[in-house]
Amino acid sequence: MLTLEDCTRMSLLEVDRINTLYGDSHVLFDVSIRVEEGEVVALLGRNGAGKTTTLRSIMGVLAPQSGQIRLDGKPIAGLPPSAIANLGVQLVPEERAIFGGLTVEENLRIAALTAPNAWSFERIYAMFPRLKERRRSLGRTLSGGEQQMLAIARALIRDARIILLDEPFEGLAPLIVRDLVTVARNLAAEGRTMIVVEQNVTAALSFAHRVYGLNNGHVVFEGTSADLDANPDLARDFLGIAA
Amino acid sequence: MKAVRSGEARKYLPELSVLVLLLAAPVALPHLGFSTDLLTRVLNWGLIGLGFDILFGLTGLLSFGQAAFFGVGGFVTAYLLVSGTLSSVWLALAAGTVAAGLFGLVVGWLAVRRIGIYFTMITLAFGQMAYFIENSPLSNYTGGENGIPGVPVPTLGFGEHAIRISAGLPMYALFAVIFFAGYVLARRIVHSPVGAILRAIKENTGRVAMLGHNVAAYKLTAFVIAALYAGLAGGLLGSFQSYMPPDAFSLETSGQLVVQTIVGGAGTLIGPLIGAAVWMWLRDNLQLIPAFATLWKLVLGIAFIVLVIGLRRGICGEIAHWWTERRDTAALRAAEAATLAIEASGDAVTITLASHARDIVLPLPAPKRSESRGESEIALEARSLARHYGGLKAVDGVSFKVRCGTIHAVIGPNGAGKSTLFKMLLDEVSPTSGDVLLFGTRITGSGVSQAAQLGIAKSNQLNQLFPNLSVRENLRIAALGRRRGPMRIDLLRSADSLPDAEQQVDSVLALLDLIERAETPAHILAYGEKRRLEIGMALATSPNVLLLDEPLAGMSPSERAATCALIRDIARACTIVIVEHDLNAIFGLAEQITVLYEGRLLADGPPDEIRRNRQVQDAYLGGLHAHEPA
Amino acid sequence: MPSWPALISQAFNGLALGSLLALVSSGLTIILGTLGVLNFAHGALFAVGAYAAFVMLQYTHSFVLTVVVGCGFMLALGVLLERTIIRLFYNRPHEDQILVTYGIGIVLVECVRAIFGGNAQRVPTPSWGQGATQLGFLIYPTYRLQLIAIVAMLLLSLYLVLYRTSMGLVVRAGIENPGMVGILGINLRRTFLLVFAIGVVAVGLAGMLYAPVVAVTPDMGANFMAQSFVVIVLGGLGSFPGAVIGGLIAGEIISLTSAFNSSYSEVMLYALMALLLVLRPQGLFGSEGRV
Repeated sequence: MLTLEDCTRMSLLEVDRINTLYGDSHVLFDVSIRVEEGEVVALLGRNGAGKTTTLRSIMGVLAPQSGQIRLDGKPIAGLPPSAIANLGVQLVPEERAIFGGLTVEENLRIAALTAPNAWSFERIYAMFPRLKERRRSLGRTLSGGEQQMLAIARALIRDARIILLDEPFEGLAPLIVRDLVTVARNLAAEGRTMIVVEQNVTAALSFAHRVYGLNNGHVVFEGTSADLDANPDLARDFLGIAA
Repeated sequence: MKAVRSGEARKYLPELSVLVLLLAAPVALPHLGFSTDLLTRVLNWGLIGLGFDILFGLTGLLSFGQAAFFGVGGFVTAYLLVSGTLSSVWLALAAGTVAAGLFGLVVGWLAVRRIGIYFTMITLAFGQMAYFIENSPLSNYTGGENGIPGVPVPTLGFGEHAIRISAGLPMYALFAVIFFAGYVLARRIVHSPVGAILRAIKENTGRVAMLGHNVAAYKLTAFVIAALYAGLAGGLLGSFQSYMPPDAFSLETSGQLVVQTIVGGAGTLIGPLIGAAVWMWLRDNLQLIPAFATLWKLVLGIAFIVLVIGLRRGICGEIAHWWTERRDTAALRAAEAATLAIEASGDAVTITLASHARDIVLPLPAPKRSESRGESEIALEARSLARHYGGLKAVDGVSFKVRCGTIHAVIGPNGAGKSTLFKMLLDEVSPTSGDVLLFGTRITGSGVSQAAQLGIAKSNQLNQLFPNLSVRENLRIAALGRRRGPMRIDLLRSADSLPDAEQQVDSVLALLDLIERAETPAHILAYGEKRRLEIGMALATSPNVLLLDEPLAGMSPSERAATCALIRDIARACTIVIVEHDLNAIFGLAEQITVLYEGRLLADGPPDEIRRNRQVQDAYLGGLHAHEPA
Repeated sequence: MPSWPALISQAFNGLALGSLLALVSSGLTIILGTLGVLNFAHGALFAVGAYAAFVMLQYTHSFVLTVVVGCGFMLALGVLLERTIIRLFYNRPHEDQILVTYGIGIVLVECVRAIFGGNAQRVPTPSWGQGATQLGFLIYPTYRLQLIAIVAMLLLSLYLVLYRTSMGLVVRAGIENPGMVGILGINLRRTFLLVFAIGVVAVGLAGMLYAPVVAVTPDMGANFMAQSFVVIVLGGLGSFPGAVIGGLIAGEIISLTSAFNSSYSEVMLYALMALLLVLRPQGLFGSEGRV
C-alpha cells in the first residue's frame, strides 16, 4: 500500500532508464534502479550482464547515452567522476586501483583530500587494524585482501553517502571473505547506503536488503533478499545454468 | 558500370596532375616569386617528404630524426666524389642512398621496438647523434663545421659527349624527373600489400600482428624506405649547390620536414612538397618586406599551431578531402542510412543471414602433424598452463585438449581466468609455465603473429577492426596474413592482385552477408555487422583453429541465433574454441566444455555432464544452494 | 690519459652540467608523467628563461631579484600556454601533442629572435659568483660550484613538493592511475595546470642559472632538449628520481668523455642510450607506466 508520502519522497539515488555503450557495444538497455537512504542493494547477474557498467555509469566513469541519474533528485549524469565523488558517491572498483607507489596512509590521505567530513585515520584503523600495521607499506606490496580493505577504507574515509562495491570478494581466500563480509554487515547495520555487485550471491545476500537482477543489460528481476532466499529457482533464471 | 570506367581513368589522375604541375611550375611560378633554384630546392624537400610521408602519414610513425639520413646520404655522396673515390655522380648518389638505407636499418631496428613518444624521442636522439658524429669524430672526412665544398654536378652520356647538368632549368629538370619517378614509386608502395599493411598498422597495430603479419619488420621497412628517400635527396642537395652543408644533419632540418608535411598535408605524398613550397616562398618573399624580415618563421609557426589545433589535414589533405567528399558523399550517406535502417530493424537482416545454407571453404590445409602417435585428432592442447601476476594466480595449471573439428567451449564465472587462458592459447600473453601445442607443434613463446601463421586465429571480445578501411580492405589484410607469410617485401604489386586472397575475401563477404557493404568503411557499420566482420577477419586468415571470445556479446536474441548458426557452419571447416557467457547458447553449440573456476580446471566434459555437475552449478550460483533446504 | 686534476675538474663540470640536465629533465618528466604530454617546447622555454635573465639583469642589476621575477614570468607563461593550448590536447593522440608543442617552441624561439636578434648575448656572472675557488687539489670557478649547490637545493625543494605535499601526492597518484584519482573526487585538470607551470618554471630556472656560463642565443635550447630526452629515456619516462640520476649520469658521461677525447663526448651519450634501449628498454627506474 503506497502512501502519499512514499510517492513524493525522493530516493537517495535514482537511475532512470539509462542506456550505456562500452566501445561500440550497447551494454545497458533502459536500466532503472532506485536506492533509498540506509539501504543495501545487490546487483546480481551473469558475467557480462552489465552490473559493472551500471556502477561505472553511476560514478560517471562512463556517460550514459540517454536516461538520467539523480542523487537527491538532482541530475548527475554527464558530470565528471570527480564532481560525482564530491556529491558523496564512491566507487570501489573491481580491480581495486590501489596506488602501488603510495603508502597505505598516503592512499588514505589522497582519498580524504576533497572530503569535507573525512574520517580520522584512527577511526579507519580501528575498523581495519591490519591497515594500521601496514600503514607505511607501499600499496603494491599489499596482499589481495589488504588491498580490498584499503579500497573500502578509501571510500569510508571520504564518509561517502553511497558506496558502490564492485566484486569486493573476488579472488580472495574464504577467511578473508568472511572478515570482509563482517565489515560489510556492520556497515549495513550502521545504516550506510551501498550498492554491491557480487558473484558470491550468498555473501551478497547476507547483507543486502533488496536485489536487482540483470541479464543482457536489462533489469529482469527486482525484489527483496527474502524473495530470493525463499525461491532459489527465481535466481537461476537470470543467474545460473539452465538446469 | 560507369563508376568502374571512370575509376580506371581516375586511377592515374594523381600521377597525371603531378606531371602537369612539374611541367607548369617553371613556366608559371617564377611570376609569383619562385625562382628556378627555389623550385629545385622545393623538389628536394619534396623528395625527402615522399619517404617521410610513407613513414608518418601512412604508417603513423612520427620521426624527428630524418636529418640523419638526409645527412648520411649527402655526405657519403659528397665525400666519394670530392675524394675521387668515385667519378660518376650517379654511382655516388646510389652509394649515398644505400648508406642512408643501411643507417636507417640500424636506427630503425632500435626505434621500431618502441611506440608513440618513445619512438619520436629515439629518432630525435639518433638524429643528434649523427650530427655530432659528423661534426667531430668524422670531421676529417666531412669537413666538420665547414662541410664539403666542390661537389660536382651529374653528367649525362660518356666521354666527350657528356653533358653537364648545369644550374638553372637543367637542374630543375633533373630533380623533377627524379621526384616524379620517386612519386610514382611511392604511389605503388602505398597501393602494394606492404602499403595496405602499413596503413592497417596505423589503424590498429595489435590486430595486424594477430593476423600473422610481422609488425616490427613492416615498420622497419617503412623506416628504411624513408631513409632511402632522404639519402637520395641528401646526395642531390650536395650536387645541386656544389656544397654539402653540415646543417643537413641538424635537428632544424628534421623539424622543418615535419612542419612542411603537416602544412602540406600528411598522408597525401605530395603534401610535403606543397608544404616546402609554402615554407620556401614565405622565407624568400617575406624577407623582402622590411617589417617581416625576421618574422617569416614566426608567422609560419603560428599557422602551424593553428593547423594542428584545428583539423590537421593540411593543404593537400583539404583538397583531397574536398575531392573525395564531392565524389563519395552520396555513397557515404547511403551507407550511413543503411546502417540506421539495420540498427532500427536489425532482426530482419540477420534472419535472412541465418536462412541460407553456406559452404565454407578454407583453402589452406592443416599443418602436418609433427607427432602422430594416436593423438592425431587433437587440434589444440594446453599442458598445465599457468599465468601468475605477482601473487595472483590468474590461471593455475590448466590442461585440456581440443579435438579436431569440434566446437569446444571454455566457461566459468568472472575472474575464472578465461580471458587470460584464451590469450595464452595464441601466445598473446606468454604463460608463466606450461605449453600450448597446435597440432603437436609447440607455439608457446613464438609470439602472436607466428601463432597466427601456424593457423590459429581469434575474434576478440571488443571489436578490433581497422575503422577507416573498408570492409573489403579489412578482410584483405586478414587474407594476406597466412598467404604472404609473416613478412614479404612485394612493393610493386597491387594489394588486390593476389587472386586467391581476393577469392577468400569474396567468399567471407558472402558468408557474412556483407557483400553490399564491401566498400563501406568499417566504422560506419551497424554493431551487428561489426561483430560479424570481427569474426570474418579471423576466418579470412584461413585458420585451422578459430578462437571466439564472446562472439555473442551485445547482440539481440535474433542476432544471437543467426550468429550461432554461423558458428555451426564454420565448425564444419575448422576447429572452434569459444568463450561465451550465454550458457544457453553454449549448451546448444558445444560438443565439449571446459569449466574454469578461480584459475583452475573445475570440470571438463560433454554438455550433459557439465549441466548436471553440482560443483559447476555451485560455482555459478555463488553458493546459493546453501540457502536451499537440504 | 689525462691528468688527475684535469679529470677531477671534468668531473665537477659533469656535476654542474648534470645537475642542470636533472633540473631540465625533471620538468620534462613530471609533465610527461602527469599530463601524458611530451613537451617539445621545453628547449625553447630554456632559452626563454635565459633571455628573461638577460633582460631582468639590465633592469634590476641583482641576480637574485632577476631569478625571482624571472620565475614569476615563467609561471605566467606556463599558465598561459596550458590554459590556451595544451589543455586542448589532453585527449588527442601523442603525435598531435608533440606537433603542437613543437609549434609552440618555434613561435617562442622566433619571438625571442624577433626581439633580441640572432646574435649571442652575454649574461654576466653575478657579483657573488666571480672568480675561482681554491678547493685544495684544484681551482674551480666559483659560480659553477654555487650552481651545483643552488640546483641541488632546487631539486630538493622539487622533491619536497612531490613527496611531502598534497599536490605532490596527487601528482604521483595521477602518474599511476589518473582515472582513480578522479573517482576519489580530485579534479586532475587543476593539477595539470600546476604541474605544467612547475615544469616550465623548472626549465626556465635552468635557463636563467645557466645563462652566465654560456652564450645566450635563441636556439640554445635545442641541444639541451635532445639531451634531456636521453636523460628521461635513461631514467624511465615519468620518473622524478630517474630524471635526477639520469641527468647526473648524462652530465658525467659528456664531461668525462671530453677529458679523453672531446669529439666523442656527445656521441658517447647517445651510444649509451642505444645500449640501454637494447638491454633495459624501460629505463633505469622506469616501470611500464601510462606512456
